Amino acid sequence: MAALHLFHISTATFKMTSGPYNYSYIFKYIIIGDMGVGKSCLLHQFTDKKFMADCPHTIGVEFGTRIIEVAGQKIKLQIWDTAGQERFRAVTRSYYRGAAGALMVYDITRRSTYNHLSSWLTDTRNLTNPSTVIFLIGNKSDLDGQRDVTYEEAKQFADENGLMFVEASAKTGQNVEEAFLETAKKIYQSIQDGRLDLNAAESGVQHKPASPGRPLAAPPAARDNCAC
Amino acid sequence: MIPVVVKISKMPSLRIDQSDLKCKNGCDYFGNPQWQGYCSKCHREQMQRQRKAEKASSATLPKPETKKPDRGLKITSHSSFSKFEEKRHRQSETLKKANLLKFSVFKKSSTDDHEHSSEKRPPEFKIPPQVNEGMKRDFRMRFPQLAQSRSKEPSLAVDRDCRAFVNSFIMDVIKCTNVMTVDELSERVQRQYQRFMKHMDTSAHFSHVDADTKELLMDFVEKHAMTYLHELPSIVFSPNGTEDERLDRAMSERIQQLSWVGERHLECRLDMNHAECRQLLYKAISELLGMDSALSPGDKLARVRRCCRHVLRLCSSSAPASADDLLPALIFTVLKANPPRLVSNINFVTRFCNAQRLMTGEGGYYFTNLCCAVSFIENLTAESLNMEKKEFDCYMAMPASIGGSAWAAALSLCGAAREADEQRALAHKLRAHTRTIHERADLLAANAKSFEEQIAKKVEDVLAKTPLEIKPRRELPRIGKFKEISTAPLIDLGTSHAHGEPEPPPETKPEPQPEPTVPQEPNITIQASENEPKLNILGFEVIERQSPSKSPQNLDQTWDLKQTSSLELLTPSPLGFTPFDSRSIDELMTPDDFGADQLPPGLSNINYDIDLSDFSGDNSIAEDAPKSDPKDPFSPEALKKTFDPFAPQTSRGYEALDSFDEFSFVDQRKQETDPFEVVHRGQDPFSPVDIAKDPFFSPPKQSTSILDDNDSPTSGCLLPSPMQPQSSGKPT
Repeated sequence: MAALHLFHISTATFKMTSGPYNYSYIFKYIIIGDMGVGKSCLLHQFTDKKFMADCPHTIGVEFGTRIIEVAGQKIKLQIWDTAGQERFRAVTRSYYRGAAGALMVYDITRRSTYNHLSSWLTDTRNLTNPSTVIFLIGNKSDLDGQRDVTYEEAKQFADENGLMFVEASAKTGQNVEEAFLETAKKIYQSIQDGRLDLNAAESGVQHKPASPGRPLAAPPAARDNCAC
Repeated sequence: MIPVVVKISKMPSLRIDQSDLKCKNGCDYFGNPQWQGYCSKCHREQMQRQRKAEKASSATLPKPETKKPDRGLKITSHSSFSKFEEKRHRQSETLKKANLLKFSVFKKSSTDDHEHSSEKRPPEFKIPPQVNEGMKRDFRMRFPQLAQSRSKEPSLAVDRDCRAFVNSFIMDVIKCTNVMTVDELSERVQRQYQRFMKHMDTSAHFSHVDADTKELLMDFVEKHAMTYLHELPSIVFSPNGTEDERLDRAMSERIQQLSWVGERHLECRLDMNHAECRQLLYKAISELLGMDSALSPGDKLARVRRCCRHVLRLCSSSAPASADDLLPALIFTVLKANPPRLVSNINFVTRFCNAQRLMTGEGGYYFTNLCCAVSFIENLTAESLNMEKKEFDCYMAMPASIGGSAWAAALSLCGAAREADEQRALAHKLRAHTRTIHERADLLAANAKSFEEQIAKKVEDVLAKTPLEIKPRRELPRIGKFKEISTAPLIDLGTSHAHGEPEPPPETKPEPQPEPTVPQEPNITIQASENEPKLNILGFEVIERQSPSKSPQNLDQTWDLKQTSSLELLTPSPLGFTPFDSRSIDELMTPDDFGADQLPPGLSNINYDIDLSDFSGDNSIAEDAPKSDPKDPFSPEALKKTFDPFAPQTSRGYEALDSFDEFSFVDQRKQETDPFEVVHRGQDPFSPVDIAKDPFFSPPKQSTSILDDNDSPTSGCLLPSPMQPQSSGKPT
C-alpha cells in the first residue's frame, strides 16, 4: 500500500488536478457465493477488462479497486473477493467486517449455487451491519441455454429478502457495471439519508474530505496507469 | 533396649510442655504452629524481615527490562529454507526465555512499582531522542514534497505535529499498559488514530495536505509509534494478560502436526515439480517468515501483502486467480512456513493497526485472508480436508517428522538452490575482488619496478655525474703538510667559480687531459699537464683530476696536486674537497696513468699503499689520522667535530654547511649548475651502500657550499682545491 501511495505522490505532480481523479469516499464491497460461480470473473470484468476504454473510472494497478462516480461524487470501490468453498465458510467471516456492499453471486446454470444463497444471506446479514447493501447477481447470463434457475424465481427470492437483483455475465460484461454502480448508489443514498454512520469503523465507508481547489490535493495517480 | 530408649525419648512429645507452646522467640506469648511457632507479633516481624531480604536480592538482579528482543535471529527474506526450521526453533527458544524474563519483570514491577514508584515510571520511559531523529529523517525521505514545499512553515508544522503525536501516543500507551486490558488498550489506540486523523482534517497545519498524503502520514505516525512500542516487551506485542504466547506455541505445534497436509488435501493447484512454482512458494514463505521481524503493523502488513502476491501468482499460473484459489494456497503456504509467533503477530496487527487500513486496501484484504487461513488451520478437521475421519486420525497420529517430506524436500531443494545462488554470487564477488586485488598488486609491482628503475637510473646518473673521487686524505696531510704551507690557499675561490657553471657529468675515462687550456679564471693558475709530474715527483699525492666537463676550458686542469691545509691534516672531512675533485677510486688507482707515464713509479706506489691504508684504517700511517675517521667522516656531526677546533673562521661556512644538509636546498640551488654536487647523494638516502662503498662521494656538496658561501680566503684553506697545488706547483 505504502509503495503504491508513494508512487502516487511521485507522479502526482504530473497529474492534472481536475476533479475526475479525486474521490471522496471509499466503499468496501465483498463478493460472496459458491465456488465457481464466477465471483473473480465479475471482479475482473468490473475492474480490469472491459472498462479500459473508460479510463477515468478504471484503476489498473491497485488491487481490486475502481473509481466510479455517483451523483457527482467520486467513489473508490474496494472489492474483496472471497473464497467460496464450503469448508472455508466458517473461517471467512472476517471478510464481511466493514463491508458496505455485498454482491451475492450464484450461477444460473447450477441450481446448487442458487440453493446455497440462503445460507450466504444468513451469513451476510449476521456479519455485516444492517445498512450493508446486498445485491444478488445471477452470473453467466450468456449461457442462457444451460439455464437452471429462472430469472423469475431468483427475482422473487430477491424481493422476498429485500435484495436488489440482476442477471449478469462476466464474460460479456452485460449488467456487470450496473450491479456495482447500483450498489454504490444505494450505499451513497444511505449515507445521504444518514442511515450509514461514516464514523463507525464497521460502516465500510471512508469519507475523504476532498480539497479540490488546492494544488497539492492531486488525485492518486494510479488511475493514470491505465493503458489508454 | 532400643525400643525402650525410643519410647523413652518419645515420651516428652506426648507430654506437651508449656514451654513448647510459647513463642519461639521467647517473648512469653504463646506461639502457634501456623506461625511457625512464633507468636503473632513475632511472626509478623519475621515475615517482614524475610520479605525485605527477598526484595533486596531481587533488586540486585539485573533489570531485564532493557533487554530487547534478539534481532539477530530475525529471518530475512534471503535466508534459505533449509534454515527455517532451525531458526524457528532458536527463535522459539529465545522467545521462551524472553517470556520468562518478561513475566518475572512484570511480577516484580507489579509489586515494586505499584507500591512505591508509580510516578517514577515516566522518566524511566523517556522516549529516546533517536526516535524523534529517526522520524525527522524518515519524514524528509518519505514526504519530500512536504519537507520542501514552497511554504516552509506549514510543512514544518506537519512534521512537528506528527512527532508530537507519536510522543504523546507512546507515552499514553505506556501509561495505560498496566491499567488496561489489551482490548481496552487497542480501542484506545484506535481512538488515538482517529484523533490524529481528525486533527489532520481540521488543523490548519494540514490544510495544504491532500487526502492521500494524510493517509500516508497516518501510516507514518503509526509506524514510528508502533515500532518503538514493539521493542518494549509485553506492551503491545503479545502483551501480558493474553494467551498470545501460549497460542503461538500451540499453533506452531499444530502446524508441525499438520505437516502431512499436502496440496491435494487442500485442492489447490500446485505443481511441486515445477521449478517456478517452487520458487514462488519459497518466496512466499520467506515473506511470511519475515513478518515476525517487521516491527510496525504496517510493515507486517506489507510482508503479508508480498507473500500473498507470490501466492496469487502461484495460483494464477493456469487461470486467473480468484479467492477460491488464493485461500487454499495461502493455507498451504502457512502450513509449510510455520511462521514464528504467528498468533502474536496477527493479534498485534489486528489490535494496533489502524482499523481503517485493515478493513480496506490490499494489505487489509490479504491480511484477512491470512487470518482466515490461520483460523482454518486451527479448526482443521477431517471434514475440512474432505477425508475420512479415520485416515485423518492416522495422519495426525503420525510423528510430525514423517509427513510432508516431499514438499519439505522440494522446498529445501529450493532453499539449497537459493543458498547455492547466494554462494555463487558470493564466490563471484570474491573472485572479482581477488581479480582487482591482483590487478592492483600487479600495478603496484609495476610501479615498484619502475620506481626502482627510476631510482637506479637516478643513481646511475648521479654516479655518472659524480664519479668517485678518492682522496686519501690521511696521507695527504702527511705528505702535503710541508707542501701546504708553501701553497697558497687562495685557489679555492677560483675553482669554485670555475665549477659554478653547469657542466655535463664527467662520465668519460678519468684519463688526464694533457693539453693545457686557457684558464677561465684569472685567479686560478691553470696548469699544463707538464706540471703534474713535477708535483708528483714532489711527493704529493696525485689526484687525477678529470675535468668535470668536456668543455675545453676546464680540460686543462687534469692533474691536481692535492693541497692540504693544516686543518686538513687532522680532518678527514669531505670539506677538503672541492666538487670537481670528485674522482672514483678506480681513476685514482690506475697506475698506468700516473704511475707509468707521469709519475715516478716509486711515488705512485707509495701513494697506492697509502690509499689502501686509508680505507682500511689498519695502516700504521693512519694512526695520525683523526680518530673519528673510521666512523663516518662525512656525516655532518663528524664534520663539525673535526672541523670546529681548527676552523674558527669558517664558522660562517659552517652554518652554511648545516643548511646544506637539507637535500632540497641543495637540490634547488645546485642541481643545474653544478653537476658534481652531491645533491643526489643526499636525495637518495636509500643507497647507503653507495656511501659506504665510496665514502668520498658525499663531501663535494659541502665543499661547494662552503665555497659558495665563503669568499674568505681562509675558508679556502679548508678546501684545498686541486688548483692550489698547481698554482703552487708552478712556482715550485
